[in-house]
Amino acid sequence: MSDFRIDRRTLIKSSAAALALSAFGARPLFAQDQRLRFIWWGSQERADRTNKAIAAYREINPGLTVDGEFVGWSDYWTRLATQVAGRNAPDLIQMDYRYIFEYARRGALMPLDEYVGNALQISDFGQNNIDAGKVDGKLYGINLGVNSSAALYDAAAWEAAGATPPSKAVTWDQFAENCAAFAKGNKKSNFYATADASGLEPSFELWLRQQGKALYNADGKVGYEPKDAAAWFAYWGEIRKAGGCVTPDIQALDTLTIETNPLTTGYAATGFAHSNQYVGYQALNKSKLVISSYPVREGGQPGHYYKPSMLLSLSAGTQAADAAVKLANFLVADATGVNILGVERGVPASDAMRAQLASSLDETSKAMVDYIADIEDVVGALPPPPPKGAGEIAFALTRISQEVAFEAKTAEEGGEQLVVEATSILERA
Amino acid sequence: MTSQTSSVGAAVPAGGRSAPAGRTRRAFGQTTAGYLFLAPWLIGFFGLTLGPALASLWLSFTNYDLLQSPTFIGTANYVRIATADPKFAAAMKVTFLYVILSVPLKLVFALLVAMAFNRGIRGLPLYRAIFYLPSLLGTSVAIAVLWRQLFAADGLVNAALANFGIIGPSWISNPNYSLYTLVVLSVWQFGSPMIIFLAGLRQIPTDMYEAASLDGASRTRQFFKITLPLLTPVIFFNFVIQTIDAFKAFTPAFIISEGTGGPINSTLFYTLYLYQEAFGFFRMGYASALAWILVIIIAIFTAFSFLSARYWVHYDD
Repeated sequence: MSDFRIDRRTLIKSSAAALALSAFGARPLFAQDQRLRFIWWGSQERADRTNKAIAAYREINPGLTVDGEFVGWSDYWTRLATQVAGRNAPDLIQMDYRYIFEYARRGALMPLDEYVGNALQISDFGQNNIDAGKVDGKLYGINLGVNSSAALYDAAAWEAAGATPPSKAVTWDQFAENCAAFAKGNKKSNFYATADASGLEPSFELWLRQQGKALYNADGKVGYEPKDAAAWFAYWGEIRKAGGCVTPDIQALDTLTIETNPLTTGYAATGFAHSNQYVGYQALNKSKLVISSYPVREGGQPGHYYKPSMLLSLSAGTQAADAAVKLANFLVADATGVNILGVERGVPASDAMRAQLASSLDETSKAMVDYIADIEDVVGALPPPPPKGAGEIAFALTRISQEVAFEAKTAEEGGEQLVVEATSILERA
Repeated sequence: MTSQTSSVGAAVPAGGRSAPAGRTRRAFGQTTAGYLFLAPWLIGFFGLTLGPALASLWLSFTNYDLLQSPTFIGTANYVRIATADPKFAAAMKVTFLYVILSVPLKLVFALLVAMAFNRGIRGLPLYRAIFYLPSLLGTSVAIAVLWRQLFAADGLVNAALANFGIIGPSWISNPNYSLYTLVVLSVWQFGSPMIIFLAGLRQIPTDMYEAASLDGASRTRQFFKITLPLLTPVIFFNFVIQTIDAFKAFTPAFIISEGTGGPINSTLFYTLYLYQEAFGFFRMGYASALAWILVIIIAIFTAFSFLSARYWVHYDD
């Protein structure tokens, strides 16, 4: 061994060689294997179901590897935008109605029309559910489920307090009275009838729609006036004063996730959410939750609407479009895939899938499917997709609702401020 | 270096390729080797620090939303920041308040702990390590999450207050208190200035104190006439470093407000606002402009610190 020596130069050369090797080493060894990347937002529950469905698909397609990636809603759009900008977008992208126009029009998504009818069997989705994934007449998103806004409440708590919970037979005024009655009958400390919905965009939207107004009208402008927003803030101000909803510092802990909603954290007997989240909420809440429509407006219009809870899109740059479409089809139009996913992403749009799914659903999922059917008489047309900047305005709504709740502003000033900010954000976007 | 090289060279069998081959070639080889060893740092500096920094300077004059290519818009971003951005004003207010409160408090606290340690406690290295621990953990996500639990409505702080019959608010989600919970978190991370203070205290010759006590100077007088003046270079160093750190603080506010800077922008640190503009609303150009303004603010602050140092920092020599 004595002539085995390493001098400095050999060392440098060999390390350089090793470095060069490692730079080229990251390639897949078997070229015939296909690899797909799939990104979605959502909870652990969703991840478990999705991974299980992917595993089932790989059993019948052994050559395929799927790298799933999931993050929470608020981090999701950051990550996706960064990946798209870096030309590194995943093949399959869970998409939202709010963003699909932006991504499709900028050429980040792939049109799927040529696959419809062969690899993609979505003909029984119903025209509305298919159209919700179209931008400028082309299909960019496959409906992953139908949902609507909903109130979720702890029935036992409402009963114990001797008050009437929300339903479509209850008007907003009655709801306010019921919350006050709850406060009187309730014995638990630091526990309130409802979360404070004054800063929640979907709740505000629904309330506006019942008056024939909208968050945004068809040409992307603010669809309400300062006095409408002021009335909304004032309405919640009354409930707050009567001890009917959670205090502002508790509401401020809600960061629009299932985990931080006052219903889940045990401060409120009612929370507001999207209907597909019912499964997730029930999983995190010990007491039995009931899913119900929002309160209604006397002589008002339907406030709810059926919305694609999420869509599935293909990245424009995908190298494996055929494989990605096949997997997508498995998730929305194949009994095996659909049954594993259940209704956690919303009720399947396909009539056939929904029918065959019914028998295998647990009680919670079944209640959610029934809810979607049950609210039909309070459902109106799908509003136009929100304009660019709508996400920032939703932030502003939350902040201004806090300023009113913490009494830094009156309801009138809050209403004024919201319209001013919303208008300026839309002009800038 | 030369002697080292020749000794390594000598280990190579005669006639090998690395036999001496003239001075220039050898010097060239040495230079190359030097740069090769520097390469990891050089690549990191040019590729990950200087390059992106220059790119952000260019982007600050553009409109860039990540999906479409940047378009040049001149100084529009800077003009808007200076004239028409209420959130910029809010973020500046929060950040300056945070810096003004947290830096002096932290330095005083660190100095007090360092002086307690300087009295020669048994097991000093152990205590020093334990007290340094929060600084290692402090900027981490886990501690920010812990802080959220401590100061929540049903958190540990309120549980303790309940013993005295006080029902505390949810400190982190009340705009009147939320920033102060972050100041407390910052003061709690006193470890690194504390270690530096301790080293500084050790440098002060003990005979000065002996002489002072012989002359009948009280402990307080000794502190103000000996300890503090001789410690000013260390105080200055800590002050500059901590101020820069405080301007750049991000993680605690991000975690505790879950990225919103709320409630009512009460924890909207400058860096958090910058992050929101960049990654929340995809205004990369605007966020780049914000970043460069922060660089300028920190530079001005540091320059003033150095200018003022002439009047209060005493160097021994």
